[in-house]
Amino acid sequence: MNLIGISINYRTSPIELREAVNLSFDEQKKFISALKNNILKEGFVISTCNRTEIFGIPATSNVSTADLYEELKKFRNVENLNKNNIEEYDSHSSLKHIAKVASGIDSLIIGDSQILSQCKESFRLSVDENFSNTITRKIFDIAARVGKRAIRETLISQGAVTVSYAAIQVVEKIFANLEKKEALVIGAGETSELAAIHLKSRNIGKITITNRTIEKAGQLAKKVSGETVNFEEFTDHLYKFDVILSATGSKNLLVTFDDIKKAISKRRGTPIFIMDIAIPRDIDPSVKKIDNVFYNDIDSLNVIVDQNLNKRKDEIPRVEQIISEEVDNFYNWHNTLGVVPTIKSLRSFFEEIEHDELEKIKNKVTEEDYIKLEDMAKRLIGRILHNPTIKLRKLAEKGDNIDNANQHTSTLKYLFDLDNKPLNGKKKNGK
Amino acid sequence: MINTIHSVNFLLPILYLFTFAIYIYDFFKDESKVYNTKRVLLFVTLFIHVLYLLLRTIEFNHPPITNKFEIFTVLAFSLGFAYFLLELLTDIRGTGAFIILFSLIFQIVSSIFIQDLVEVKEVLRSKLLGVHVMSALLGYSGFTIAAVHGVLFFLLYKDIKLNKYGLVFKRLPSLEILEKLNFYSVVIGFILLTISMLIGFLWLPSAFPDFSYSDPKLISVSIVWLVFFIGILSKLIAKLYGKKVIIFSLVGFVVAIISLLMSNLIADTFHSFY
Repeated sequence: MNLIGISINYRTSPIELREAVNLSFDEQKKFISALKNNILKEGFVISTCNRTEIFGIPATSNVSTADLYEELKKFRNVENLNKNNIEEYDSHSSLKHIAKVASGIDSLIIGDSQILSQCKESFRLSVDENFSNTITRKIFDIAARVGKRAIRETLISQGAVTVSYAAIQVVEKIFANLEKKEALVIGAGETSELAAIHLKSRNIGKITITNRTIEKAGQLAKKVSGETVNFEEFTDHLYKFDVILSATGSKNLLVTFDDIKKAISKRRGTPIFIMDIAIPRDIDPSVKKIDNVFYNDIDSLNVIVDQNLNKRKDEIPRVEQIISEEVDNFYNWHNTLGVVPTIKSLRSFFEEIEHDELEKIKNKVTEEDYIKLEDMAKRLIGRILHNPTIKLRKLAEKGDNIDNANQHTSTLKYLFDLDNKPLNGKKKNGK
Repeated sequence: MINTIHSVNFLLPILYLFTFAIYIYDFFKDESKVYNTKRVLLFVTLFIHVLYLLLRTIEFNHPPITNKFEIFTVLAFSLGFAYFLLELLTDIRGTGAFIILFSLIFQIVSSIFIQDLVEVKEVLRSKLLGVHVMSALLGYSGFTIAAVHGVLFFLLYKDIKLNKYGLVFKRLPSLEILEKLNFYSVVIGFILLTISMLIGFLWLPSAFPDFSYSDPKLISVSIVWLVFFIGILSKLIAKLYGKKVIIFSLVGFVVAIISLLMSNLIADTFHSFY
């Protein structure tokens, strides 16, 4: 198998370069057309914010990874892309790398679960664009299976690895049912939006947004089906909320110790979870001294993120074991590729003889006897071919002595002249 | 039959030990493969335990409540059984090890010291006394389970307050759930204790000639009942939440233990049978 590939990723290239070579869905289609011309006969392209990768079987023996890189450079017109920005892969390392990518262990955030669906999309595009054949389709199967097994059999995708998700993890250790809880989001910027969307995805009962610019608050509230409260008076409403999340660019504290003290006494001790992810902070950190107030800032939430990332790192050997098993499976399958056509030819050779001989006696025996003879002939051929078929297949699947398998295949081809397809037991040329 | 009883008496601490081991293993490792095994093992242990209690009742012709160590085995069973019901009803399994530990301790002590008493006071053969004692023991089991959940609540509360995200944070259910488990256990314990006390107040005067309403055990149990009653009312009417409710249940548990010890070990009471 002659599989080659290149990868431009977060390890090799800065974000500007990754953006420059990033290919949209339509661009991937066009690029595949360009590759199909004279570079790869089958393959696929993956392009995400952290990587652009091209893999495939070269159209001719002269094609190398340098051609892939030159083609991409030409297609995207990126002058400053050089060899140092590229990882190159040969047959064996390509397969391993693709499996690693699909499993998430090659991602910037280890265990990233999005990458598997991105890989699957790329594989689908390759199939749709007639850019895949037997080998690449098998690679797609192997990669998808590795991805699924990694999620199912290991903890590689477990635990929150972003600050917003980590905050949700803490919230869920305080409250049992978020559907009955209300959240206040202070600020309407990108971070607030992300956090509000996370809360929404966890089915929190109600989200209220407050922001200096009320229009922005309204826009975000619309996105998360929430409400707004005036920025000037939101501190009077703090007691209504179980979760308070703040991420503004304010230079001064927006919520004081006394604000929270008043809120908690109105709530008769019902807990409040506070997540202050603003820098500088929006909420007085001394509120953590108040009973039933659970205060978290970026530093404390990063502790959870780090713990989970470390836990994911510990799972890498288990994922690598899965990759190793599946790569072995691939090579077992690949090794049988040469054997299977020979087995098919051998079987059809014998079936042709069977058919020919049965035809000869068809009119000389009764119909009942003919059926018996037909059955006997089928069983006879089945028994004759059973051992050679099984042994040849096993020899190929074991993969440790592929030369031996090839030698046996060649002997069979020679002895039964399988390269000249038989016609009713006779050679095509009538000899 | 006596040989079977002795064999099961030897087997029970081992079964509780295995059950405890698998629950504590799950608490530390959180492996899905033992998720159902531990529940099945607890069920098997409780099933064998209930057979053991029945065998003792049949063989010795009295319910197993005639001495401290018979009471201990009943207590071990009722704690395990009450937890089992709670686990089935709520499907929350992270707290089992802390409760089964109590069952294990009571059963070990019982198995070592239990005696085969055939001759007992006639009153101890009464079925009503059996219900009275069993409901009281189940009630106290409820308070014990509530106390365990209360302690776990405080551990988790402290960890979240201090932003410590270790084993307690990872394995325990949420504070709200721990509070609910604590409250349900208190309510169940309170109902059972009330039943036991009603039987006591109605039946004991006719069964014991020296019955007295000023009996120290009666007074101390009434105090325990009152503490839990106030705790439940404060949750239901005054809508108290979290720490304050948990504190009530812990205070109630401590009062219950102190009153049991004082009335059993110090005071002279008609309630002492052994």
